[in-house]
Amino acid sequence: MKKPRGRQTEAEERMPIRHRWRAQPPGDSDEARAGTLLRSAAAVQPFGARNLAEVAARLRSRERHLSRKWAWQIAIAVGLLLFGGAVSAAVMHFLRVASVGPALPDTPVSMPTSKTVRRRHMLVAQPFVPAVLPAPEAPPVPGSTEEKSESLPVKASIESPPAPLANPSALAQESRLLAGAIHKLRQERNPGRALAMLDQHRARFGANGALEPEAKVTRIEALLRLGRHDQALGLLDAQTLTAAGVGREMLVARAELRAEKGRCGAALNDFNLLLAAEAPPDLVTQRAMYGRATCRAQQGDWAGARSDLEHYLARFPKGRFADQARAAMGK
Amino acid sequence: MPLVRPDATPFIESPSGVPDLETLYRTHAPTVARWAARLAGPLVDIDDLVHEIFLVVRRRLPEFRGEAKVTTWLYRITERVALESRRKDRFRRWFSRARHFEIERTIAPTHLTPVDEVERRQSSETVYRILDRLPAKYRNVLILFELEELSGEQIATLTGLKPATVWVHLHRARVRFVAEMKRDSERRT
Repeated sequence: MKKPRGRQTEAEERMPIRHRWRAQPPGDSDEARAGTLLRSAAAVQPFGARNLAEVAARLRSRERHLSRKWAWQIAIAVGLLLFGGAVSAAVMHFLRVASVGPALPDTPVSMPTSKTVRRRHMLVAQPFVPAVLPAPEAPPVPGSTEEKSESLPVKASIESPPAPLANPSALAQESRLLAGAIHKLRQERNPGRALAMLDQHRARFGANGALEPEAKVTRIEALLRLGRHDQALGLLDAQTLTAAGVGREMLVARAELRAEKGRCGAALNDFNLLLAAEAPPDLVTQRAMYGRATCRAQQGDWAGARSDLEHYLARFPKGRFADQARAAMGK
Repeated sequence: MPLVRPDATPFIESPSGVPDLETLYRTHAPTVARWAARLAGPLVDIDDLVHEIFLVVRRRLPEFRGEAKVTTWLYRITERVALESRRKDRFRRWFSRARHFEIERTIAPTHLTPVDEVERRQSSETVYRILDRLPAKYRNVLILFELEELSGEQIATLTGLKPATVWVHLHRARVRFVAEMKRDSERRT
């Protein structure tokens, strides 16, 4: 068989190597360069008596910790047994009393209706599209059909308590101010000025403004662009977010901010929420997948992190984080 | 200095026939630390790694029957723990680079150290960056031969491979190392 160029035959490969690269004198050959490189990396820190004692102490303390851990586990098991017994006794007692006692009168219970629940979730379920706001240069005529049809989606997304009936002219003014802030933020890339306009909005319309939820979302975006993460996270933490519409973007931003602050448990809840639903193949999903891998890695769940990265690469082989994911996987 | 001493240390066993961890630690910890440092590379905390290794040793000590040499047994544990540690380290480095996601990009603070120390560390990192692109079986054999200066027979004893296999791995590791070294320098220029 013809020997492939640049490759050794098997017999050659079995031959012992007599000279180490490290012993080669400096030169321009590949072996000499490899030798120089390897020589530079040859030294390792000696594992001295201090290290020896330190690690030995850690091993001993770990032993103590393990024995303490056993004691704790036993204590918890006993506690659970006692608690379980008490609960089952209470339930039995209740059932006995309920079976012999008089029938309870029907009492009206104030439960939130499905409608109110849906309304609450609609805060973020409705996509926040600035286009639904009247353009600053062409404010809508108060009370016109056009205004009604365009304002409805925005109004529907307002969280309870419902906004007081807004004076139409006040709503138009509020819309104009908010649209201006959005324009500063997204078109002019001036988050500072946008924030100033949002402050004006707050000063004029307070927390009861008809467009307060939209103003809040815009404020969060401006704060993020300004790098004021703590303030943005404070606002996001106070929100009830769902993985729909603009809620997805807010959710992923909150998860990332929580992860950044070392709150990986809370961040994982958000990432899981985003990825539990049928996640569309967009950047938010990519961020959620990559972010969850990062959080799992931070928590020491290497298997979970690896699995997330593998899924990410399978789904987004040319995705935004594909290079980083490959590097992390050693591919 | 050769890494593996002839395994002349009397293998002390407890009355129950199980090797004594403390003696094992006292006798072999420095050697294990050297292997760990070599296999895991410059970015890993060796104290942590030695600690992890001996936790595994303690856990698996009752299973040790003395069929293999104690150094071989310890080396295999070291190899596995070092591999796991390298994986974790890769994740950690990636995480520390990526933790700010889309939100923020920060530049890691630079630590001022003497120039030669920086150069040495950089060279060492380059070597391990290249080594990390090699399959583990080639990588480890090359480390043991070139950095630890073990003979083929010593490597065979330690890894449990046949001497001929050691040489095959070593030849192939060298070819790959040179190829990766060239690729690395091309990337950097």
